[in-house]
Amino acid sequence: MTKPAGISDDSRAKYEPVIGLEVHAQLKTKTKIFCSCSTTFGAAPNSQVCPVCLGLPGVLPVLNERAVEFAAMTGLAVGATVHPRSIFARKNYFYPDLPKGYQISQYDRPLCEGGGVEIHVGDVRKRIGLVRIHLEEDAGKSLHPEGKEGVNTTRVDLNRAGVPLIEIVSEPDIRSGAEAYHYLTKLKQILVYLDVCDGNMEEGSLRCDANVSVRPRGQAAFGTRTEIKNLNSFRYVEKAIAYEIDRQIALIESGGRVVQETLLWDSARGVAETLRGKEEAHDYRYFPEPDLLPVDLDASWVEGLHATLPELPDALRERLVREQGIPEYDAEVLTETRALASYYEETSLRSGQPKLASNWIMTEVNAVRNKTGDTIESFPIRPDRLGDLVGMVSSGRVSGKIAKQLFELMLGDPAGPEALVQKHGLLPIEDEAALRALVREVIAANPGPAAEFRAGKEKTFAFLVGQAMKQSRGRAHPEKLQAALKAVLTEESA
Amino acid sequence: MSAPANRPVVLESAETLAASVRSGARSAVEITRAFLAQADRTAAKLETYLHRMPDRALQDAEAIDRKRAAGEALGNLAGVPIAIKDNICVRGVPTTCGSKILEGYRPPYDAHVIERLRAADAVVIGKTNCDEFAMGSSTENSAYRITKNPWALDRVPGGSSGGSAATVAACEAPLSLGSDTGGSVRQPAAFCGVYGLKPTYGAVSRYGLVAFASSLDQIGPFARSARDTALVQNVICGRDARDTTSRAEARPIDLETLEEGISGLRVGVPRSILDEAGDGLAPSVRAAFEAAISALERAGARIVDVALPHAKYAIATYYLIAPAEASSNLARYDGVRYGVRRPDGDLRGMYEATRGAGFGREVKRRILLGTYALSAGYYDAYYLRAQKVRTLIRKDFLDALAASDALLLPITPTPAFKIGEKTDDPLAMYLSDIFSIPASLAGVPALSFPVSFDASGLPIGLQLVGRPFDEGTMLKVARAYEKEHDAASRVPAIVTAGEGGAR
Amino acid sequence: MPIDVSVVRKIAALARLRIEAAEEERYARELGSILGFVEQLQALDVSGIEPTSQVTEGARPALRPDEVCPSDARDEALAGAPERDGDYFKVPQVV
Repeated sequence: MTKPAGISDDSRAKYEPVIGLEVHAQLKTKTKIFCSCSTTFGAAPNSQVCPVCLGLPGVLPVLNERAVEFAAMTGLAVGATVHPRSIFARKNYFYPDLPKGYQISQYDRPLCEGGGVEIHVGDVRKRIGLVRIHLEEDAGKSLHPEGKEGVNTTRVDLNRAGVPLIEIVSEPDIRSGAEAYHYLTKLKQILVYLDVCDGNMEEGSLRCDANVSVRPRGQAAFGTRTEIKNLNSFRYVEKAIAYEIDRQIALIESGGRVVQETLLWDSARGVAETLRGKEEAHDYRYFPEPDLLPVDLDASWVEGLHATLPELPDALRERLVREQGIPEYDAEVLTETRALASYYEETSLRSGQPKLASNWIMTEVNAVRNKTGDTIESFPIRPDRLGDLVGMVSSGRVSGKIAKQLFELMLGDPAGPEALVQKHGLLPIEDEAALRALVREVIAANPGPAAEFRAGKEKTFAFLVGQAMKQSRGRAHPEKLQAALKAVLTEESA
Repeated sequence: MSAPANRPVVLESAETLAASVRSGARSAVEITRAFLAQADRTAAKLETYLHRMPDRALQDAEAIDRKRAAGEALGNLAGVPIAIKDNICVRGVPTTCGSKILEGYRPPYDAHVIERLRAADAVVIGKTNCDEFAMGSSTENSAYRITKNPWALDRVPGGSSGGSAATVAACEAPLSLGSDTGGSVRQPAAFCGVYGLKPTYGAVSRYGLVAFASSLDQIGPFARSARDTALVQNVICGRDARDTTSRAEARPIDLETLEEGISGLRVGVPRSILDEAGDGLAPSVRAAFEAAISALERAGARIVDVALPHAKYAIATYYLIAPAEASSNLARYDGVRYGVRRPDGDLRGMYEATRGAGFGREVKRRILLGTYALSAGYYDAYYLRAQKVRTLIRKDFLDALAASDALLLPITPTPAFKIGEKTDDPLAMYLSDIFSIPASLAGVPALSFPVSFDASGLPIGLQLVGRPFDEGTMLKVARAYEKEHDAASRVPAIVTAGEGGAR
Repeated sequence: MPIDVSVVRKIAALARLRIEAAEEERYARELGSILGFVEQLQALDVSGIEPTSQVTEGARPALRPDEVCPSDARDEALAGAPERDGDYFKVPQVV
């Protein structure tokens, strides 16, 4: 990452960054917010449009009940106040992908206000407050020519126009790019738990703008802020904020002043640049949308919705620690998604081994998923089979080494671990005579270490066990193998 | 098939015509032909239409006749032709709102009212001329043509629904639809000597009505009798899922209740509003107003004094609220998805050229005014304040209508004025809306009905205002008046002039 | 209330309306006269009065079920576009 020159840690320490984020989340409804067009991503251009979302003369919006429900659920999940009455307003501006020449949004009477999200950065817990959550419609997509000589037209696809969004505005409680990253991760986790947003940044389901300013430590007043747009991943948000903090500090330290402006993040070059061509100051001329009634919500409806909220990540994490007795760290990893947590709970129940199940998922399962890109839902070993495998490890039915072999086999074979043991001849060698024969071979092949053991150097015992296990290709029953080795070494002196 | 009555078809009521189609006494085709023929004689002279559709109308009429032949039940407007203001969408038929910016535009869907009319077996015969985007009081703001008043061809028919009023007055159609934002149905109805109803806000779905000022716009019917007015209103009113401001409270009127008379009915008269009009109120209108009060009293009504103390602020209020909403509603005409485009360099150039050339002066004036009223720094002083005054005006009406069953007041300060007389002074034109605008802001129903003629033979209309969703009482009062007076039954000379007369 | 030509230019730009130079003066005069007329509202005491942005009291909230219903008007609607590039609407470059 390029950094503005001349920033020392000393000068950095003199300033406190103040960051607020505006997150736009696409709600996972089947239809658009004000018409019955599908919201499916990736459809042919302008195939999911109708007179309403095309903004034809004479059409009127009709609010999608599911969009209201999803927005209210989000508010309840973050402890916001869901207002009994909220009001849509028109935000007026011209742009080719904004069919009506105004966006229907909420302005001075948003659906939700307040609430907050708790984040963990390292060992520090911190609450990021929320200003508001409001409903609005998305614009369409403008495809601009990119550096093509002689091409001077923009193409417009209105499939996305009218897709329901919630805008989640944070308080300026964030102090670093890392905190912003954790806040976004947590927010996305909540939205996905609620199943109100798919959280997919590549498809634009989650978008973020950052407001960044710095002020001398101890100063109460905020510094002049800039807004960074075009932040297409959480890592870019983190990087762009860090970049902008340094840029502002360098500017102030060199006697300059921060100008209030909008910056575009260029992820390829790692720099934020002034957005050109916005010479005109915004004057959105908001006024209440006369085509829609106020959104009036019964207290009983809101209560009912509250009662149906799924268990959220924080509560689930605490419950896993409490009920399963696993460490906080494990619970944090296992509650990344609700599906992963369910997978864990089923595996744990099946095996009766909460911690061992957690280990297997955090290491073996996640390692494979990282390689293959599988989600936990698409992972080929379901919790019943993994639970059986974990059970077999804990009962000593198979060694850890065989268990790993079995795990590999299970990835490509839907059979249960016991059946695979039979099929591939992976039964443990438990017969004492066979084990004694095995260790005799190992002692014969390693006369030196055997002699050393007999001379009282017990450290070589482990080496001999390892050799014997290797010889058995992991199949030797660990405890019985050790017993056999000890017996042969002591009883059958050379 | 021959007509049972000896009255010419074009002079018959819609109610009678529909009944005769249902009974088989007349065919829908025969009726449609008669009105098309009448329009052939006069429409070019009156310039009532922007788009006529005789072929489609006859096809629709044939289909209705086939339905009857097949034994199917026919609707309440069976075979009755109806003309539609050009700001109401008819699928596949040019809909320009009288604006150049929508030249050639054909909506891909029918307005809710069109669906309702078709379900009632009415026959849509054309799109009538209007002021551009319904902004005007004379139909002189149409980008295409100037409609003439059938009673005096050198005079305006009123506006903005001038074409719809004139076509019914000239018997080119027994019925039509217009839209009323600040008086655009009631004022031309008065100028043309016909009935014009502005229903309660929310009584008729606005889906498919090209928006001017969304919180004020209502579609309403024109007809030549109180019963016909109710007949159309009954077809178009009620809740539509595509307009969330439309209401289930809007219920059809039992036509027979219109015959009950008005004995004991309390008619409120807000006299102070006449003083507000001052010298602008023509003596002929004042006289007609006083005469109508006496006539209603004779018919058994009780006249009660009521006050509308804030009505005098209505014009100022309206000319902030309506342009503000219009400035936003008209932002969609940007040359991107439909209508006319004027290329001019980059996107911004295209926008400005398209809108600069596509909109006429009055529309531009209102967009500028509305943009100003909503812009940062002025919102509270203009738009928000106007909304608060609107609250006071509505309360005035609800109070007055608590003390009475309907209000009687003028609708226009003068009879129809001359073409070109007021085009140079927009404010003077706005001030003539003083009687129509208050009810629009209050959202209450109002009816313009013909009461008499002035010395030069120009029709004079008056206005009744009713309680929310009580269109019936106003129509009952108008029906009682109609029974004792002939103003509504007279037709302008142009109807019978020329070859063949009105047969 | 006097409105000068610069105000007309500013709001015309905001509304994306090209006003010919020769017309600016006239619009300024007309807007000034209308705004002068509406000044009468300033005299009215509206403290404590709720604004009316729509007359829909008593209307029940009318929400739509989240069910897909593709439009039969799509092709007709796209056919009316002034300029297209395949299935896209085509406009002059934004900047």
